[in-house]
Amino acid sequence: MIPLGYFTFLSAFLFCVGVYGALTRRNVIGILISIELILNATNINLVAFNKYLGTKDGLGEVFSLFVIAIAAAASVVGLVLIIAIYRNARTLFTDGLTLMKE
Amino acid sequence: MNEAVFYFIAGCVCVFSVLAVTQRDIFHCALWLAMTLLSVSGIYFYLDAPFLGVVQILVYVGGIITLFVFAIKLTAKIGYKGIRQTSKQWALALFIATLLLCILFRAFSTHPWARIVSNVEPTSIAQLGRSLMINYAVPFEFMSVILLAALVGAIVIGKDKR
Repeated sequence: MIPLGYFTFLSAFLFCVGVYGALTRRNVIGILISIELILNATNINLVAFNKYLGTKDGLGEVFSLFVIAIAAAASVVGLVLIIAIYRNARTLFTDGLTLMKE
Repeated sequence: MNEAVFYFIAGCVCVFSVLAVTQRDIFHCALWLAMTLLSVSGIYFYLDAPFLGVVQILVYVGGIITLFVFAIKLTAKIGYKGIRQTSKQWALALFIATLLLCILFRAFSTHPWARIVSNVEPTSIAQLGRSLMINYAVPFEFMSVILLAALVGAIVIGKDKR
């Protein structure tokens, strides 16, 4: 049987990969992809703790469902924003997006 | 045997997630993200949460990845091969991420609950549905309001003003 720590290790690794991607990507879509990875890392933690420590009403799984729904809403709004930005600025690179400075 | 399945899925998650943030072509990144999310759903199945695994495949791989592919294809002109996709500070970011990983690993490995082995009943889908509709009905309703707001906001922002 796998101890609980291994799942937190996996989740920490996924989280750090997401942080690295969010810090390095120049493309805004790449940053959104990294944020999805981070949200999945939290979900692994919630489900693993729910399985190993046990909750009476499955709180961990309920909250993972909420996180999935929030992630879906966030990525919908994010991608629409990206398309609106692209329509106006003709670029998606973070160092080219200086609309607010000008 | 049971352990081998976990190590296989966890290895898939690690390799695919690294590929998803390091590939040059953003379209390939989206496909590697799809593979990562499929492997994470494998983790859910392994953790006796089949409903979450199915939701993960339906919502993420079926919905969000499709949206990503659409967004990438609608903004295709910036996906040229020659343009660099990572910022100049990638070494600093790698250092920060590795440092964070080391701190988290150290914190997790010294904590006593890291060695807990499960001995509780997994949550059944019937129990999950009951707690979603009875115990946590208010957050559930708020969730639907948020989804509605996201839908309306997406339409308003995405509408072509010209």
